[in-house]
Parts: sequence; C-alpha cells; structure tokens
Amino acid sequence: MKAPTRGDADGSGLVSHGPWAILGKLLIAAGFVVVAMPLLWVLLGSFKTGAQLNDPTVLTFTPTLENWNTVVSSGILTAAGRSVIVGVITVTLSVLVGSMGAYSISRYKTGGSATRFGILAAQVLPPAVLVFPFLALAYDFQLNDTLAAVIAAHLSFVLPVVCWFLIGFFDAVPIALEEQAMIDGLGRFAAFRKVVIPQVAPGVGAAAIFGFVLSWNDLFYALILAPGNSATLPVRIAGFNTFRGVELGAMCAAILVSVVPVLTATFFVQRRLVRGISGGAVKF
Amino acid sequence: MNRSFIRQVLVASSVVAALTITAACSGGSTSTKPLSSPSGNGDVAKTVSGDVHVLMEGVPDTDIVKGLLPEFNKVYPNVHVSIESLVYDQIRDKIVASFTAPKATYNLAIIDNPWMGDFAKAGFLKPLDAYVKTTPGYEYQDFAQPLRDIGTVNGKIYGVPFYNYGLGLIYRKDQMPQPPRTLADLAAQAAKLNTPSEAGIAMQPQRGYKAFEEWGNYLFAAGGSIYGSDGKVHLNTPEAKTALNTYTKMYNASAPTNSPNWAFDGALRSVSSGKSAMMVSSNWMLPTLNKKGGPAGALTGKFELAPMPGDKQVLGLWDWAVPANSETSDADWAFISWLTSKAGEKQRVIAGGAPTRNSVLTDTEVAQKGFGAGYYSTVGKILANSSPLCRGANCDEMIQAVGTELNAAIAGKKSVDDALTAAETQANKIQSS
Amino acid sequence: MSFRIRLLLPLLALFVVAVGYPLAFSFYISLTNYKITNRFDVKFSGLDRYADALHDSAYWSALTVTFTFVLIAVFLELALGLCIALALQRQKRVRDFTRSFLLSPMFITPIAVGLMFRFLLNQQLGVIPTLLSRFGISYDFFGPGRAFFSIVLIDVWQWTPFMVLLLLAGLESLPRQPFEAARIDGASTFYTFRRVTLPMLSSVLVVAILIRGLDALKVFEYVYAITRGGPGTETQTIQYYVYNTGITFFRLASASAMAYGLLAVVMFLVILLFRRVERARRS
Repeated sequence: MKAPTRGDADGSGLVSHGPWAILGKLLIAAGFVVVAMPLLWVLLGSFKTGAQLNDPTVLTFTPTLENWNTVVSSGILTAAGRSVIVGVITVTLSVLVGSMGAYSISRYKTGGSATRFGILAAQVLPPAVLVFPFLALAYDFQLNDTLAAVIAAHLSFVLPVVCWFLIGFFDAVPIALEEQAMIDGLGRFAAFRKVVIPQVAPGVGAAAIFGFVLSWNDLFYALILAPGNSATLPVRIAGFNTFRGVELGAMCAAILVSVVPVLTATFFVQRRLVRGISGGAVKF
Repeated sequence: MNRSFIRQVLVASSVVAALTITAACSGGSTSTKPLSSPSGNGDVAKTVSGDVHVLMEGVPDTDIVKGLLPEFNKVYPNVHVSIESLVYDQIRDKIVASFTAPKATYNLAIIDNPWMGDFAKAGFLKPLDAYVKTTPGYEYQDFAQPLRDIGTVNGKIYGVPFYNYGLGLIYRKDQMPQPPRTLADLAAQAAKLNTPSEAGIAMQPQRGYKAFEEWGNYLFAAGGSIYGSDGKVHLNTPEAKTALNTYTKMYNASAPTNSPNWAFDGALRSVSSGKSAMMVSSNWMLPTLNKKGGPAGALTGKFELAPMPGDKQVLGLWDWAVPANSETSDADWAFISWLTSKAGEKQRVIAGGAPTRNSVLTDTEVAQKGFGAGYYSTVGKILANSSPLCRGANCDEMIQAVGTELNAAIAGKKSVDDALTAAETQANKIQSS
Repeated sequence: MSFRIRLLLPLLALFVVAVGYPLAFSFYISLTNYKITNRFDVKFSGLDRYADALHDSAYWSALTVTFTFVLIAVFLELALGLCIALALQRQKRVRDFTRSFLLSPMFITPIAVGLMFRFLLNQQLGVIPTLLSRFGISYDFFGPGRAFFSIVLIDVWQWTPFMVLLLLAGLESLPRQPFEAARIDGASTFYTFRRVTLPMLSSVLVVAILIRGLDALKVFEYVYAITRGGPGTETQTIQYYVYNTGITFFRLASASAMAYGLLAVVMFLVILLFRRVERARRS
C-alpha cells in the first residue's frame, strides 16, 4: 500500500498542496473580496454624510453618527423584531405540522406521488397571484395590517419547502430503527417521536433555518399585507427608497442592522446547517 | 398510468373544484357601503371632533402641513390629525387597501392625478360638491382651471387641489441669460452649452412615467397634444414625431453620458453639482436649488425657472379627497377646507409649499415672505396653461405603456414612428378597457 | 382513521388554508374580469384572460427574459458554487469563519442587496464605475443591453453561497471509500472529480438546480429596487410583470391567468425532470 500523500492524513483523497489546492485558496480569497466589498461600502457609507456619499472619490472622511441616529429612531429594530417573530412562528408551525405529515408521506407513501407534486407546485406559483386572496381573507377576519396575515402568507411558501426537506430526511432513515422500537414495545407515534425524530433532528434544524431565512427575506407579502404598523424589516428597508432618491446613509445603516446579527448567527449555525443538510435532505 | 395515480388525480381535482366553488361564493361578499352619511354642510362647526388619519408622501409639502397642524387645532381643537408618511410606491397600494376594507385605515386621503379617474369610477371617494358649495368664503374658482379639471370626474368634484408639480425649465441664469422660446431654440441652446465637463441638459428618459412626463413637455412645445378632440389618444401626429425626434437627438447630443435610466434624482444631482446646465423638472425645485444649505452647494442662487418653450407644460397634482368609507367626513372636510382655504394656502406657500390658488400666486405678502414675485408669477404662467398626461380610466397603465415605448425609441430599439404608433394603439386599448 | 392519515391531517389542513384556498381563489379570479376597482361588478368570462395573455407580447417577453435569467444565473451559480464548495472542503484552517462569511450574502434580505448594488453600480455615485473610469472604462451597468447582465450578477452574488451550502453538504456526505480507491489507483485530481465526485453528487446537483431554479423564477426585488423592468422591457421578469398588471394596474384577473400560465409551463418541466430521475433511480 502506498504511503498517504503528504497533507492527506485523513485519507479523504483531498490534498492541501499542489496546483489545485492553490487555485482553491485563490478562489476563496477572491470570494472574500467579492463578498466583502459591497458590505464594506455599506459599512463606510453608514458613517458618511449625504454630501460625502454623493462623491464616490472621497477616501478619507470624518465619520458621523447621524445616520445611525436616524435609523435607530426610525423603528428599524422593532421592524427587525417583527421579522423575527413572524419567522419563528412560521417555522415552528411548519416544522411541527410538516414533520408529522412528511413522515406519513415518506414512510407510508400517503397520497403517493400526488402529494409530493403538490408540495412542489406550491413553491412555484408567483406570490403576486396569491397575495390578493390573502388580503381579502385578512379583511374578512379583521386581520389586515397585522402579523397574523403575514404569517399565514409566509406559511404558503415556507411550509412546502420545509416539508420537502423533511420528506428527504425521513426517506434516509432506515426503517429498521422503527421496527426495532416497535418490537421493543413502543407504539407507532411513540416510535416516531422517540426514535425517528432524534435521527432527523440536525436535518430538521437545517430545514428550520432555511424556512426562517425565506420568511426573513420576504418583501412582497409583507409590503402588501402589513405595510404600516406591522412592517417587517424588508419593508422598512424598502422605505428608504424615498422621493429624494435613496437616503443612502440611513439605508446603509439599516442594511447593517439587518446583516450583522445574521452574520453572527450564521457563524454559529453554519456547521449545523451543513451537517444537517448532508444528513439526507439533498438526496432525491 | 396506473389506477392508483388516476385515483389520486381525481381526488386532487375534486378538492380543487370544491375550493374554487367556495372561493367563488365567498369572493366579493364584503360590502363597503358608507356607514355614516356626511352632513354635506361645508360650514363645519368648530366643535366637530374626529380622529383623522391620512397617508402622505415624504415630500417637503408634507412636512409643511405637519408644521401647520398646531395652527389648525387652534380653530378646530377637537379634530386630531395624524399624518403617516411613506414612499410614493407604497402609498397607492395602501390607500386602495384602505378603500376596499370594511373599516377605513385612512379616513382622509391625498390622491395623485393619474389615480383620480379610476378611484372616482370605482366608488372609492365621496363627491365633495355639497361641501364645496356650502363652505363660506371657499372660492373654488380661485384654483387654477387645469387643477380644478383634474379633480372633477363626470361632473362631480372628488378632490380639491393640495399641491402642484407642474414642470418647467430650470436653468443657470449665469450661463443662459434668456430662456429658449421654441423647441428648436431649446435644442440649440443645449447643444451650445454642452461641453466635456458639463452636459447641455440633464434628461430623465427613464422607462415609464418619467419619460412620458418629460417628453410630454416637448410634445406641447412642438404644438402637439396627447388627446384629440374625440377624446382619444393621438400620438401618431407630425408634432409628436418632431417632438420625439428632437428629444432623441437632444439626448444623444447634449445629455450626460450613460443616463438612459435617469429620473428625478439623477437629473437633480447632475444639475446641482454643475455637471449639467439645465433640466426640465418640477417648478418647486427652484426654491430648493436656490436655498442656502440646499443641494446646490456653491451654485445656490444661480438657478432660474422659465415656462417651457411653447408655454404649455405637463401638470402633476395631488388632491385632497374623502374616502367613501370614511366615518369622519365632517372632520375631514374641516381640515381640508381650513388648509386649502385662501388663508390656509397662503400660510402653506409662505412656508415653502407649492401653490395652487391664483389669489395666492399674486399676493404681495406671499411674494415678500416666500420666494419672490418673479417665481410666483412664473408658476402662475405654468399652471394657467398646463395639462396632465392622462385623463380618464387606467391612467397608471396608460402612462406606463406610453413611457415604455418612448424609452424604447430613445434607446434606439424602435424607430420613432413605430414607437409612437405602438404607444397610441396601446394607450387607446388600455383606456377603453 | 388510520395512523398515516391522522399524521397527515394537520399538514393537509394547513395546506388547504395557506395554499389551497388562495390557489383556488386565484383560479376563480382568472376566469372573470376581476379588477380591484370593480370588485362588486365581477362577471364571469371563461378563458378570455388566458387568451389575452397568449396574445400579449409583453407576457411572452417576460417569460423569455425570466427563463433566460434562470438558465444563465443558475448555471453560473452552479459552476462557481461547485468550485467554491470544493475549495472550502479542502480548507483546514479558519473554517468556521470563512464559511459563515462566504455564506452570508444569502441571508441578507434581497431588497437590501438590490438597493446596495443599485448605488454601488450607479453611474454618478457608485464606487465601481468610478474605479472603472480610472482605467478608462465607461460601462453603464444599467444601460440598454447591460441591465439584464447586471441583474444576473447581483443574483449570482447573493445566491452562489446558497449553492455552496447545498453542494458542500452534499460533498461532506459522500462516502470516503471511492476516493480512497481512486487515490490508491493513482487517479489524477481532475479524473477523480469527473469520474468519482460528480456521479455521486448527481442527485445533490439535481436538487440544488431544482430549488435554486424555482426560486430564481420568482426574481422580483432586484428589478423592483433598480430597473423597474427597464430599459425597455429588458429586465421585465414575469413576477414583476404580474405584479404590475395585478397590483399597479388593478387587473387581477389577467395577472392570475398569467401566473397560472407560468405554473403550467414550470410544472411541465418539473414533471419531465421527475420522470427522468425516477427512471435513473430504477435502473
């Protein structure tokens, strides 16, 4: 047997030297620059005055906090909080209801391929068409301009995606585990809860994060269903696109308010995300 | 296909059918009949009370109105007006949502002129004739005629003027002592002032509203008009062709490079930083440009406003209106009538607002405390002979369609003839549907 | 009621409320002349709206623009994403920070990304055009013939990390033995990639393309924030066109019909894909 190649100590077949490795490192460095540049511009912009922002050739400048003052007092943190609430409720509902349904579809083939198709179809329809029925329903139940309406609308696209992922995860769990649990005396639902769920837990985590991001990013439904008192973060950010052009400084500060917490969160979450998805969702 | 699949499809289809039938039965079941009838009496008692909630655009005039609220409350102490301000794009959808709701979120509204026809026809607004006629000292005829025409649909008044945004030519008086009086003159002046460091004219050919709004002035300058005497859109005319050819040539010769998508702020930035010598813009941009501490920086005070060559301009107007589902009509009218009365408007204009009444335009005190007699007399000329882009139904869509064709011609994607023919056909189709 | 049906019931109920009812209502609307401004005067008009859509050249143009956009953007994202995922997989040091930083664009709300790039690439204000002009290049990012590609680039900036995430997950879930075997047999890196990695990754690739493709069909925020469909109709995507027709022009019936047309086309493609994958799996 050949000795392992230098740098390939774990036998994974991946080397960290040689031309491909260098290319890889360059690519990552380039990726850093490409991702960082707009974010850096936004960071600097949030400290510039209107006049300084109008001139792209300004290199050194004295920072000002006026944009941050404007943004913080404009209620953007409350809007961000509302986005979080909507996301958490939507995802919780989706995961709770979706996990049971997905298990049924995966394990018992309920509804056959029609259900799987149905879930896919729900992700394709443009929101512009679904929004008016939601609006009409919201009025009928006196729920217009509330978060409840936005949550219902977000369910329409988060639920299918979460289900889709969960079906994949459940498909990957070997049936032997449940059969063993039932032989050991557990009922079907208990087997599901105590044996199967822990198996897919990292995957459920990943699906939850996905669903949350989808809800967090939505502008369209929120703009139409809750544009005023219950505005979510994207709606607030869109509000910086004013008559006087975009209020650039304040907009930059607002973007950072939405980016920094997310960046911090992804730091803790990405490992689980990768592990969770690789656990089985990405199999077809 | 096996039987199980067919069975599943049948089940799915019957579910969809059931839902569709349910939807059909429940759709349109909400009625929005007005809940309280307004007194219709314009002489509203000073003790009238109400919570008036209105959505306005984040523009200077809104700030001025907010500043006038304490004065208003001295006269009507029990009417509480709360003003929410948003970006233009978000306003219309929100007020439409409010109009169609069982309970109004906004019981007072400002309406942009393209929406007036559609909203009045859809029954979203209350007719204001009774109020206007019975308000003592209101003098509705004092508003410039083109402005009154916009608020009147099918013979009824649905809106009274708030502030205008008629267009005019804003230029540097240190670079051009006399404004051009003909379209050809304008083109020549722009070409003359065009240097490598400064463009002759900042143009706003952005697809849709902006292109049409700007080009409309060129059309009028060429002696043309948008509507014919039969009430239909006629753009396939020699004047329109001249106007579009001139516009396109001017864009290619004298506009800043890479500006085919420019709209309001692109042109403003260019002119205020001295990179362009003139622009066609809202008449009240002049005070903003000449204001100390404003966007013009070192160029403050060097700008002048003139009517467009040919003396006919494109008009834009915001109206005050009372939604049909408002429950505070009397309080609404108290506010509207106070603000748009001669005295109220005078205060607003002195504070920097854009005028709509002839008496205010010729008032010496306003000239003194405001922006000078010359400015107001120019605005008066602009308003007297101006015309909006669209009358009647489906204006938003009609303006978009025409503006798209114009932008295609300017970008060189369509010939002038093709663009104008297409614009005319589509505009008529849209307005008759 | 059997166990499996009971498990499915909550999901079904939620689906009906959140998805089924709106879908059905839109279908109903598409068969009428519904406008927001004539809600109480609704007349049934059968398939008229569908016929209108088929004759509307702007509709076909929007579909073409959107599908072209999806093809180019997803292809770029896949290619770039795969390269970056491979590179990230090899990385030994500072993994967490690199990964979370490179993944961050997908978590920024798209309207913010749109506004950000609108001003980064703005002729008058943007840093990038200024930099380019220092090198003598005058490139109008949102001008005719170019706006479309700028929108594609923005999409690639934001969503390549998404592809990276999926592909990285896929790569890390691959079994080690085939790679061991290939290394022992002395296979070159490229050969390993082509003959070992790619085939095993194929199902992941299909899922990634499917999810990203379906999402890219809905592109709206960038157009809304920057170009509004222009110049001309170059960047008028179907979602934006339907939004304009239904919400801006009040013509909800037409908008619904257009959306259902899109759904039909996409479902057709998805079914084709499904069939092919099923066949591959069975063989």
